[in-house]
Amino acid sequence: MVFLKKIFLFIKRESQIFFSNFVDLCSNILFFFLSIFVFVFALGADEQLLRTVGLGIIWSLLLLSSTLSLRKFYEEDFNNGVITIIHMGGMSYELIVFFKIISHFLFVQIPFLASIPIASVFFNLPIIEVYNLILTFIIGSLILSCLGSISSSMNLLNKTNFSIGSIIVLLFSIPVIIFSVGINNSDSNFNNLINLLIGIALIFLGIAPWSSAAFIRLALRNK
Amino acid sequence: MLLINNLSFYRNNTIIFEDLNLSLNNGQITQIRGKNGSGKTTFLEVILNILEPKNGDIFWEGKNIKKNIFNFFNVTTFIMDQNTSTKKLTVLDNINFWKGLCASKLTNADILLLLETFNLLKYKNTKVMYLSKGEIKKLELLRLILEQKKLWILDEPYNHLDNSSIEILNQTFKDHANKNGIILFASHFNPSINNLEIIDFH
Repeated sequence: MVFLKKIFLFIKRESQIFFSNFVDLCSNILFFFLSIFVFVFALGADEQLLRTVGLGIIWSLLLLSSTLSLRKFYEEDFNNGVITIIHMGGMSYELIVFFKIISHFLFVQIPFLASIPIASVFFNLPIIEVYNLILTFIIGSLILSCLGSISSSMNLLNKTNFSIGSIIVLLFSIPVIIFSVGINNSDSNFNNLINLLIGIALIFLGIAPWSSAAFIRLALRNK
Repeated sequence: MLLINNLSFYRNNTIIFEDLNLSLNNGQITQIRGKNGSGKTTFLEVILNILEPKNGDIFWEGKNIKKNIFNFFNVTTFIMDQNTSTKKLTVLDNINFWKGLCASKLTNADILLLLETFNLLKYKNTKVMYLSKGEIKKLELLRLILEQKKLWILDEPYNHLDNSSIEILNQTFKDHANKNGIILFASHFNPSINNLEIIDFH
């Protein structure tokens, strides 16, 4: 019971920090919308062309805008020692990482869901593709949160090279893009591709806590 | 009782300390002194298992802490030289988080009284980022009383404090020692505490 209360407190604290950073999140979503505008203006008013490339563009921009907030994943808690304090409160680093991923998924990725239907209007996407996009984004963003956790814990002591963290995320998110965009092109394979996506999400949800915890330990030792 | 046996620590093949033996008894206040970079903080981090010693063991009440690390954390409060309060949350939010984390039995009235003692009551709904450095340090030190643990380990507790706060902190140390608590802290400051044991790091 005490343990569940600690987990609840941890997520409550994350939500409080999230609401105090609300402007940051809004600027990420604004970045997403503006880059979609840029694409629409750059491609011109060809309705058929926009419909063909729309899904791919929306997915890549979602990916890029969610890498914007990656550095904040652990950096603050690591630098002011909160991770050590929570660890001393009886939570292993693996659990801390796991709940950090869950709260990142809830408070950073899910708000993007609201922006997807609006973005789809600009590309004139059919409604079935919008449903697919939302479904694949829910699964795909969980994978992105796991990747973000791994890459930002790798870069805790890296104060100069800011782009390396995004490179790692972009590299490993290629399969996510392939399967998520592929769902629309083949109706018969829908179930297979969704199963593959869920599989990737579960694999990363299994790997991320262990690897991130190992990186955090390493960073604490070399601080 | 905390027992440290033949503890050695190397960083990049240079010796930070070697074959260190120490025993901290109930009711004892111990200060670690030394030059900058002499390894005071490192020593505290080795005790808390954040850093891995090259060899040597640490025992708490006869048990090796490496195998019972969470039992050891259950009786330990660690105040770092950084401030672990979250800058974007209010003072009370931070306190409630710490309180839940260590399952503290203090009531809300106790906490308000504590804030009053440290002159922080008027800031209870202020975000921590608007407080001064000394006030943030005092907020950090509140954790000592909030967590109600037996072993206190502190890194530079006197930084940024004014004279009256130093007095309160010394009195808190003495009270804790009278209640059979154990205190180990690293500092350059020479506090006026009787029966203070001093370890010099060269």
